[in-house]
Amino acid sequence: MTINAVKREIPDYIEGYGKVRHYQGAFARKPEGAIAGAKLRCFNNDVTDKRVSSIKEAIKASGLKSGMTVSFHHHLRNGDYVVNMVLDACAEMGIKELTLFPTALFGVHKKVIDHIKSGVVTKIMGSVNGPIGQLVSEGGMQVPVVLRSHGGRPRAVMAGDVHIDVAFIAAPTADKYGNICGTLGKSACGSLGYAFTDADYADKVVAVTDNLVDFPASPVSIPQTKADIVVEVPSIGDPAGIVSGTTKVTRDPLRLLISRYASQLIEASPYFKDGISFQTGAGGIPLAVTAFMKEAMLKKGIKGGFGLGGITGYFVELLKEGLVGKLMDVQSFDLDAVRSIGENPNHIEISADWYANPWNCGAAVNMLDVVILGATEVDTDFNANVNTEADGALLHGTGGHQDTAAGAKLTIIAQPLLRGRIPCVTDSVYNVTTPGEVIDAIVTEYGVTINPRRKDLLDAVSGVKDLPLVPMEELAARAKKMSGPTDPVRTTDRIIGVVEWRDGTVIDIVRQLKK
Amino acid sequence: MKTAQAGTLESMDCLVTLTEAAPGVGIKINITGASAARFTTAMTKKIKETLAELSVKDMDVAVQDNGALDIVLGARVEAAYGRLTK
Amino acid sequence: MRRTMLYLPGNNPNMLTKGHLFGSDGVILDLEDAVAMVEKDAARILVSKYLKQGEFGGVEVTVRINGIDTEFWKKDLEAIVPMKRLDGIRAPKVDSAETVKILDEEISRLEDKYGVPQGKLKLFCLLETAKGILNAYEIATASPRIAAIIPGGEDLRADLKTERSMDGTELEWARRFVVFAGRAAGVDPLDTVFSRVTDDEGLRKETQFIKQLGFAGKSIIHPNQIRIIHDVFNPTEAEIAKAQKILAAAKEAAERGQGAVTVDGKMVDTPVVKRAEYVLVRAGLA
Repeated sequence: MTINAVKREIPDYIEGYGKVRHYQGAFARKPEGAIAGAKLRCFNNDVTDKRVSSIKEAIKASGLKSGMTVSFHHHLRNGDYVVNMVLDACAEMGIKELTLFPTALFGVHKKVIDHIKSGVVTKIMGSVNGPIGQLVSEGGMQVPVVLRSHGGRPRAVMAGDVHIDVAFIAAPTADKYGNICGTLGKSACGSLGYAFTDADYADKVVAVTDNLVDFPASPVSIPQTKADIVVEVPSIGDPAGIVSGTTKVTRDPLRLLISRYASQLIEASPYFKDGISFQTGAGGIPLAVTAFMKEAMLKKGIKGGFGLGGITGYFVELLKEGLVGKLMDVQSFDLDAVRSIGENPNHIEISADWYANPWNCGAAVNMLDVVILGATEVDTDFNANVNTEADGALLHGTGGHQDTAAGAKLTIIAQPLLRGRIPCVTDSVYNVTTPGEVIDAIVTEYGVTINPRRKDLLDAVSGVKDLPLVPMEELAARAKKMSGPTDPVRTTDRIIGVVEWRDGTVIDIVRQLKK
Repeated sequence: MKTAQAGTLESMDCLVTLTEAAPGVGIKINITGASAARFTTAMTKKIKETLAELSVKDMDVAVQDNGALDIVLGARVEAAYGRLTK
Repeated sequence: MRRTMLYLPGNNPNMLTKGHLFGSDGVILDLEDAVAMVEKDAARILVSKYLKQGEFGGVEVTVRINGIDTEFWKKDLEAIVPMKRLDGIRAPKVDSAETVKILDEEISRLEDKYGVPQGKLKLFCLLETAKGILNAYEIATASPRIAAIIPGGEDLRADLKTERSMDGTELEWARRFVVFAGRAAGVDPLDTVFSRVTDDEGLRKETQFIKQLGFAGKSIIHPNQIRIIHDVFNPTEAEIAKAQKILAAAKEAAERGQGAVTVDGKMVDTPVVKRAEYVLVRAGLA
């Protein structure tokens, strides 16, 4: 047992995970050695068509065997068919004990529960959503789930911590030789940012497409040099689940209030000047913050440098209006974003490595001025939890939370003080996803709470009209007073989730819920 | 058995159902919904306190919760009791 | 200031908990039209507890009780008068000075009973009938408790036997008259609600109109309406600068013992100086 740098007690060895590298601080661990790699392949001119006739043929050709690691990207989000298609086929073919290594999972993947119960999938590394998370929290898997951030995943692969045997890459458009494009086709998803790691580091790469075009496809995101096998299927996903229509700014008064305070904080900060770069998610509050920032930028005549991360139509509008110079897109959330990335040279596709990997020559998050994030809870040390809900169930992946928080000059967590009766500000979070070391401010409907580490920010916001400043002690006390004492979460000793920091150390663990 | 309800299932509210219980049975409480996982102790305390203030010794209390704070829970128990004894 | 007073439905815990955070000058915990008949009892208990707990930040806290023509009003007053965090009572359907006297008496009786300082609680009168509008001045002067008079919307239209129009023609005269009555009596004239909550432009237009008429503020039904109304009521930077200039000139003239005040070469008389003072009050700078 060791107490790590966020005061969590973590065993030195975890059954089903291995030896623990303990979290020592947000920027403590440095890399050693060289980048691990995929097997070398050789293709000569005797093969000019990599297509096989079915998913099952593709699996056969890939050499996938029981016990191997398979990977998928999540750009088709809740409309994805590919994960289920491949796992169903594996089940039918008697392939089992697979390690599932997705970049995220959605509600559409709840069939994975059946495969877990039948032993087709015996390990998951990535994120767990909803029903799968609930199953894992109640002890439904034999080994712990490993959660990594968007930047931590490519790091783990490149450092050799995870080896991908076969990568299945859902390809909205592909040609017979394996060139892949994400912006064209009936299942277009825009950026293929999360798929690059899989394409570069898997021993075998299978492109799964529903839109086969003549060789060579163009434009190309992932080139033919990466694909071993190509398979055409009737549909790789449901467009309604892949992209939303257009994301609209919320009119909910509480969210607008919080968003306004966050925007005022940004405006008062030293970063609100020409060239400001920012990232906001697609959720209600982050989108509203972007809308208020736009008002303020127009008023002050400020132009943004770049927007980063998951791109929505709202961000695309800012690009078109000249309010931001470039967009760096690792995930396109809606139709407007898909269209824009296909047409506008200032809307750039970036990989997960480019976006957030801490072990390269500089990820995009390092150049970020401002990021607005959410959390399920934060504590008086400013640590944030995004993985578990109030009942202790492991229900959410880490996403880009750790990476953007570590990279951005101003990291803001914006959320209501209470969700129903559940306090979102506590003395100690149930699980640490992102440490207080990299979180600068909490914004609630009661105002702005600045991390005491940031005296410069405290000075900048003191005296700003109509922007209440609330010390963390007062905020936590108010939450406690309103919600009253909470019963502790009842768990067994068994560890069912390992939360890695983006550098591969273990920042926290999640235990099985007692029924 | 006489029964009465107060409250709603809207956000931050709860639906309280009181059913008369035989003398000596005591206060029986069943809480379901959003707060059940982490607030059963606090909510049980509040319900008992509220009923004690109303001099109630025997009652069957069912709460369907959607995030009600103590102030709301107390108000709904009191309102349900008022309806029960009207 | 009473630029905005936000109605909070009295049976809605979510709004009662958060309503004061949105930045309005006041809140109105509503036991009347926002609460169904069968829920009057539950809402009364809920509102009473919130007033007792008293977490409303710095806003003016009022309760709209049920009318004296109902079986509820006395129970409403009994439940709210003793509570620590209550500034005023908004009474619906006040149509004569007589109604004011009845309310005044009952409130005084309860203030006495519960040891609340006599006269602490103010009265905000809704004039929702033709008769009420015509009696506006008598109502506004019927008690020292009166803080504001407010013309009704829907109920008034019904009493006039006409319908709602986009430009509010049917309420125009009533609005003007209430402003005169209020200002003559030294109480705030406050305007009625704007119900199209997604029509920001429409709200702005109506607010500009009623501000110009002389209203001190408006009742509102949605937090998103607050910013627009404050924007209209708040003096602009230019107006503030001009007002400061006028007051500086007035001060200088007084120091020099000069009767006449000049700003930019033009004579500025007393009413203009008074208006400049009022601008700074509205800007929170006086």
